Amino acid sequence: MRVVDHPILGKLPEGRTVEITFDGHPLEALEGEPILAALLAHGIQRCRTTVKRREPRWFYCGIGRCTDCVMIVNGIPNVRTCVTTVGAGMKIETQEGLGRWERADA
Amino acid sequence: MHEVEIAVVGAGPAGLSAAIEAARAGAKVLLLDENRKPGGQLFKQIHKFFGSKAHYAAVRGIDIGCRLLDEAQESGVETWLNIPVWGLFGNHTLAVIRDGRAQTVRAKKIILATGASENALSFPGWTLPGVMTAGAAQTMMNIHRVLPGQRVLMVGAGNIGLIVSYQLLQAGGEVVAVIEAMDQIGGYAVHAAKIRRAGVPILVSHTIREAHGREQVEAATIVQVDEQMQPIPGTERRLGVDTVCLAVGLTPLAELGWMAGCGFAYIPDLGGFVPLHDENMETTLPGLYVAGDITGIEEANSAMEEGRLAGLAAAEALGYLREEAISRKAEVRQRLDSLRLGPFGEKRQRAKERLLGECRGQLAKQEPPDVSKSCQDLTRSRITVVTGVLSLEELAGSPGYPSQERLRSGKVAVIECMQQIPCDPCVGACPRGAISIAPTITDLPVLDAEKCNGCGLCLPACPGLAIFLVDLTFSPTETLVAFPYEYLPLPKVGTEVEAVDREGHVVARGRVVRVQNPPRYDRTPVISIAIPKEFAQVVRSIKRSGKR
Amino acid sequence: MIEDKVLCRCEEVLESEIREAIQAGARTLHGVKIRTRAGMGLCQGQTCQRLIARILAEETGQSPAEILPATYRPPCRPINLSFLSGVEG
Repeated sequence: MRVVDHPILGKLPEGRTVEITFDGHPLEALEGEPILAALLAHGIQRCRTTVKRREPRWFYCGIGRCTDCVMIVNGIPNVRTCVTTVGAGMKIETQEGLGRWERADA
Repeated sequence: MHEVEIAVVGAGPAGLSAAIEAARAGAKVLLLDENRKPGGQLFKQIHKFFGSKAHYAAVRGIDIGCRLLDEAQESGVETWLNIPVWGLFGNHTLAVIRDGRAQTVRAKKIILATGASENALSFPGWTLPGVMTAGAAQTMMNIHRVLPGQRVLMVGAGNIGLIVSYQLLQAGGEVVAVIEAMDQIGGYAVHAAKIRRAGVPILVSHTIREAHGREQVEAATIVQVDEQMQPIPGTERRLGVDTVCLAVGLTPLAELGWMAGCGFAYIPDLGGFVPLHDENMETTLPGLYVAGDITGIEEANSAMEEGRLAGLAAAEALGYLREEAISRKAEVRQRLDSLRLGPFGEKRQRAKERLLGECRGQLAKQEPPDVSKSCQDLTRSRITVVTGVLSLEELAGSPGYPSQERLRSGKVAVIECMQQIPCDPCVGACPRGAISIAPTITDLPVLDAEKCNGCGLCLPACPGLAIFLVDLTFSPTETLVAFPYEYLPLPKVGTEVEAVDREGHVVARGRVVRVQNPPRYDRTPVISIAIPKEFAQVVRSIKRSGKR
Repeated sequence: MIEDKVLCRCEEVLESEIREAIQAGARTLHGVKIRTRAGMGLCQGQTCQRLIARILAEETGQSPAEILPATYRPPCRPINLSFLSGVEG
């Protein structure tokens, strides 16, 4: 849920939006926000499934240290979504285990 | 290879301050940060800071951050953002990623201001979506403007746990409880008091046993612990929550120091292993300096002062400042000492002295604290800090509380600040000089109730939101109580509200008489309500109206 | 006995596995790491290192001051290895 109005921070500035896709579904994101924030705003609470125990994971530290929030972004697995900014047309996918590479050049 | 005179790693309060001082002294400074935005944790700190004028007292962390960024720019600091530093070789060469490739930065002096990382607490279910650090929740709601959960269990009642709980309420969330394994809260009582009067329970001697859920957190089981921190069987309680926030301390983040090979000491009061440093913040490796939480967990004010000290010292070592350096450094050290006064600060002060001692190669003996005034006062205020709610008896003995006689004679400020914390904005806020804090900044505020005319200007100035206004003469049957209220929506004048006591219990009906929120209050509105006379000593806020 | 739980979130190493490694002779964080992979994942022990240090202290009777962090080697931050090709001198 977005914090639209806040007693200290004021109203959420009207920013530009970009469209991204999450597991094939189009989602609206605010320009400049991290992928994770956009997913959270839409109530999505899972970034990946772990390798061994097949457990769901979301974010834990929120600042790029714990690496729990990694997802497949534009075909590249293990991207930390809490510190990676959304881009127009970005393709975000839930990472199953180690994920799968779509491209070999990056 | 990029060459500079001084490279500063980390653009938080310490790194920014170090870079600004060094650049002002004339050095060519490069400031590096792996984040896209500078400021470190400052931009999550939406509350007003404690401290004295020299420490940006009563200014919100976000605004301090903006000022530091301006100062960095004005002083000519070159800043590289989104640049991870992934290695430190020797004491002069940093490895970074820039323009998509590995590069090196060679500096005559390097200042590490990498901050700290949040400690973890493991329990069954702690890997479930919805369990996160308190800092993560703070980042999401205050920076990215998304609420991480609706019903939160906060684990840990140090200042971070208490402050983030308050901020969760401000962002529209609900904090079901704050639990603390120790038998009293670790943070400031005034931070606890804010969330207590908002109705949040603080359960001391409690820990989390398990987080439940399949896809995400659906509930949490908490349990009481004995003096040995062992769970007491049969005291388990299940709380319906969707989020568990962990606020269980910080650890200095010193990977680069380890990599470079500087000397370390293990000092629990500073958060674990910290790099040894001397009076100039220089480590055992010549030319490598440290500042801020990397040298021991404190708070942003101390981090800024340590940064200034490191920046001045590094510039001085390069031949800048000359004679001026000695007096400038002395000023900073004096301010640092004042921040480490009082019952909360003295442990850190002793730990810092030990660190300096070890650095000199002479292990300073850990001496027991003096039984001084401050320690006696700590004992006196021990009861109040259990969960932050003061008893009327305790308040009556406080130097900030007016006498019954004075209360009966009309509008007057009531200062409910009973801990020696380094903070004094109330003194400067009073146009009549009715509040004093002396001789040191950690002394308790003393109210000269005869001078006080009840103007209320001290209410929004108090970063702890611990000053109220009481007017027993408001009407024959009613008392007026005014209090700071930083929530939305603000109540409307004339509406009926539920008046709550210091623990958030509804005790009376009240009527809103005034809502003051001018710019100079800096987003701390003051609400005045009329309540039945007998609740004058009891009512300290109103029940927050329904969720937005 | 409290229920078992994951300690190293990245490599999904259980507390019981850490204790077994210590009983099998691990005396340092490095020793636990090479036996169990705890601290060897994407985050490189950022989250679990102190938890494991506490268990080491508990099981071996060492003081926390004796349990040094595992050796930090560059890169200490997650970086794309392709960035390292063509490092300048």
